[in-house]
Amino acid sequence: MSDFAKRSDFASRPSRRLFVGGAAAGVAAPFVLRSEALGQSAFNWKKFAGTKIDAMLVKNPRSDLLQAHEKEFTALTGIEVSSEQIPEQQQRQKAMIEFTSGKPTFDVCMVALHVQKRLAAKGKWLDDLRPYLADASLTSPDFDFADFAAGAVGFGRQADGTLDTLPHFIDFWMIYYNKEMFEQKGVTYPKTMDELIVAAGKLNDPAKGVAGFVSRGLKNANIPVWTSWMLGQGMETVSATGQLQTDTPEAIWAGEMYKRMNREFAPPGTVGFNWNECQTTFMQGRAAMWLDGIGFATPLEDPTKSRIVGKVGYGVTPPGPKGHHSALFGDGMGISRTSTKKQAAWLYLQFMCNKGNQLAMLKAGAGSPGRSSALANPAAQEGSRFNKEYFECLAASGKIARAGLPQIIPVTEFRDVFGVGLTNTLSGADVATELKKATEAFKPVLEKSEQG
Amino acid sequence: MSNRVEGSGIWRKIGFGASVFALVSPAILVFLWMISLSLKNELDNTAFPPVFIPNPPTLANYVDVFEKNNFLLYFWNSILVTGGAVFIGLLVGVPAGYGIARSKAYKTAIMILIARMTPALSYLIPLFLVFQILGLIGSIWALLITHLVITVPIIVWVMIGYFEGIPQELEDAAYVDGATLWQSFRYIAMPLARPGMMVGAILAFIFSWNNFVFSVVLGGKNSRTLPSAVYNSLTFEQISWGPLAAAALLVTLPVIVLTVAAQREIVAGLSAGGLKD
Amino acid sequence: MTTLDLVEPVRASTPVEQKLAPRRYFLFALPALVLIAGVIILPWLFTLVMSVMEFKVGGAVEFIGFQNFIKLATDARFIESIGRTFWFTALAVFFPILLGTWAAVIFHREFPWRGVLRTVFIMPMMATPVAVALVWTMMFHPQLGVLNYLLSLIGLPPFAWVYDPNTVIFTLMLVEVWHWTPLVMLIVLGGMAALPTDPYDSATIDGATNWQMFRFITLPLILPYIMVAVVIRTIDALKVFDTIFVITQGGPGTASETLNIFLYLQAFQFFNLGYASAVVVVFFVIIVALSLLLLSLRQKLKWNT
Repeated sequence: MSDFAKRSDFASRPSRRLFVGGAAAGVAAPFVLRSEALGQSAFNWKKFAGTKIDAMLVKNPRSDLLQAHEKEFTALTGIEVSSEQIPEQQQRQKAMIEFTSGKPTFDVCMVALHVQKRLAAKGKWLDDLRPYLADASLTSPDFDFADFAAGAVGFGRQADGTLDTLPHFIDFWMIYYNKEMFEQKGVTYPKTMDELIVAAGKLNDPAKGVAGFVSRGLKNANIPVWTSWMLGQGMETVSATGQLQTDTPEAIWAGEMYKRMNREFAPPGTVGFNWNECQTTFMQGRAAMWLDGIGFATPLEDPTKSRIVGKVGYGVTPPGPKGHHSALFGDGMGISRTSTKKQAAWLYLQFMCNKGNQLAMLKAGAGSPGRSSALANPAAQEGSRFNKEYFECLAASGKIARAGLPQIIPVTEFRDVFGVGLTNTLSGADVATELKKATEAFKPVLEKSEQG
Repeated sequence: MSNRVEGSGIWRKIGFGASVFALVSPAILVFLWMISLSLKNELDNTAFPPVFIPNPPTLANYVDVFEKNNFLLYFWNSILVTGGAVFIGLLVGVPAGYGIARSKAYKTAIMILIARMTPALSYLIPLFLVFQILGLIGSIWALLITHLVITVPIIVWVMIGYFEGIPQELEDAAYVDGATLWQSFRYIAMPLARPGMMVGAILAFIFSWNNFVFSVVLGGKNSRTLPSAVYNSLTFEQISWGPLAAAALLVTLPVIVLTVAAQREIVAGLSAGGLKD
Repeated sequence: MTTLDLVEPVRASTPVEQKLAPRRYFLFALPALVLIAGVIILPWLFTLVMSVMEFKVGGAVEFIGFQNFIKLATDARFIESIGRTFWFTALAVFFPILLGTWAAVIFHREFPWRGVLRTVFIMPMMATPVAVALVWTMMFHPQLGVLNYLLSLIGLPPFAWVYDPNTVIFTLMLVEVWHWTPLVMLIVLGGMAALPTDPYDSATIDGATNWQMFRFITLPLILPYIMVAVVIRTIDALKVFDTIFVITQGGPGTASETLNIFLYLQAFQFFNLGYASAVVVVFFVIIVALSLLLLSLRQKLKWNT
């Protein structure tokens, strides 16, 4: 187990600069598979046959895949799964309500690491997975935990070293672009954020109903757009020492960028747009560029839903004046601490995050898996609807990924308070004033939350 | 006063017709558009200019609603929660209306009215905490009990109005013949107030059925009611208008049918002070 | 039912004695009152206690006196939400009253298909707000929504509907008008059914126009009913939640964040239950003040009988 210990040590370094090189590094240097090391004895999957477990999932293409794999899982283990997908916002609310009630109705829960990680630690929601991983009678030898990218594991690991989720999905923010429109206007993919503005201006064609650029304007949902720009200044919203950096010149610069892109080149109504409105706009051929997570790609190449099949380009977020990063988000899956079927739930986690299923997720364009082997596997690209550029963008983004949201407890309040401020700028309010106001409003909330 | 369309000339008639059209068309068009959305595929639904007549109409959205969601379970939950809350509401509310009307307990009546006017949301925080302590979050019981907040005050309120309208003399005559209080309520007042019970039950049913926020907060996977289930069926991939419209239509269909069928009772009940929750 | 069976048989008492002992009747109300005490009064008291506590879900509970209220008084978002609530309420009362009264005048007359058309007209009233709000959301979509297409047909530019802080309240008001104009119509129509015919006959002889008859005869007579509708609408509009929550969630920014939305945000997004309880208390005071107004009107007009 020395290998595992070493890796966990590396991953749990108290670093706030959460790079995720691992996922991409895997492409270049896949980890040596070491299933042999743990022995060849046949693993008994049927140990908990007859158990029925409940899983609360977030509504997304990954969960669709998980549900599709349930039959196979039941055939293998004899464990029945009753799962439910709930839209993101309600799921986060539900998790909070059910976990604090002390009797959650589910054994497995999907957790948004960028929002709920510290809440989960504070509320003692989930069980530590390390003992399960260490137990050869519970963990199949071919599970190969070491295959999970170090950065992804680090993203999921709590400050005290606890690992309460398996990081099954990581999301990088990038730019989807419509190649046909770029060609028609003779524009090449921008190499800097400044060029991005110029390109958006050239591509913007309101008379034809085409926007140069679309991104989220809706309060709360719009925060990653702002932090994406701010990462171009090499800065996060909260410093490594926990100080708010939301009214710094860098933050204001990013806010100005947000304001300009969403006012000058965006379709009417972006102030109310979440990812799904942006996605629809882009997919209908009504926007030339769309900044969002690569995990939202699934329907773009589906001819029954998209009008731009085969025309989509996948571009890495261009560098800003002082930095080149891709905003990072991630989901993990954990086991309720109060569950009475923890072992069965662990088998579920193990199966759903095995190599085959993680590879399937990548193939479906449902996002970047936590495992390195999936990205390293050439089969991913061969059987996929998505082109080479998609996979290249994934790999390149992985190399420059950095946390898109602060690692604090009141993430929801953060997103609300700053989201409102940013939204106000779209109606003409001054960026510096709004950010200052929001920073002042949020400061006491943050301080209180850190007092325990 | 003559109720006929008055005045001379065709212009007046046209003006009147236009008024009727202007009033009725928004009501009908929204529902027609809802039906249209629910019968079209996704590309037609997001087409611009919009496709109005589904061609060919597809039932795929409805199939989708039933396949991807446990719609029948949610329907059953709604029936249980709303049905249960209305039943209990009638059980305690009808005698209460009688008692309050006959004892002229105006202070109690005022309290009922205030209960009726308080936003449903404000009951949610304390009830949420209580259910959390009792471990009832996510159970049908939590929802049923919470829906009593809607059904009991409205039924009591409507019943007070009805019993006030029934003359005391009939009952007095019964007492002379040796009837008990209970007997005079059961065999004289209650049968006379039957229309009121219908009204109270229908209004309570509709307001309880339409309630959304209780189930959003208190409902669990197996206890969620229809309105919150529909809200949850917003899908991940783009704005999925077809299935959403189909689900929305299915949720509201029972109350629309009830409204049309029991129009007369609802009108009577509303003028008896039945405010929405 | 068992409680009811406990009601004692009345011994040989006269009807007069019965009237002197109204308290006996109160036993009928007992089961309901016990229930109301449990699910309504208790939560009220609980809220009152919570409002002087610092309580965040998952955190400690601590008595902090009136600090929540002091914080509310300086919370710009809360103050703004009150103003917005009143503005929205004013609009969502005025227009349904205007249109509802007009509709009542129309439907009071006899014309072909009246019954069917009236049924169609009142359908929106009982439609599930969440379901309808979802459909409105689709119709408001700035690029793909059917409403902007309809505007383009008559040569108007696209409208931002709920996607602009300046038009969102107005747009949400339209949904409210659609939903609740029928209620006003029904109340006023009920009043018109009881109108006497004599004043109209003499007015017709005097050569009054339709408008004059409405203005000087009908309107004063139905005014009490309109007032009732005003009060009912006011209370309903103050409490609107489903429609706004589903369509805008209080956005863009905070442009449609009414009291109820603010309350929900504090309670079930941020889980600041103490602070949210203080909001409930303030909200409650506003509602009760209006309820008393309604009651005084009810006494005056006896619209219950």
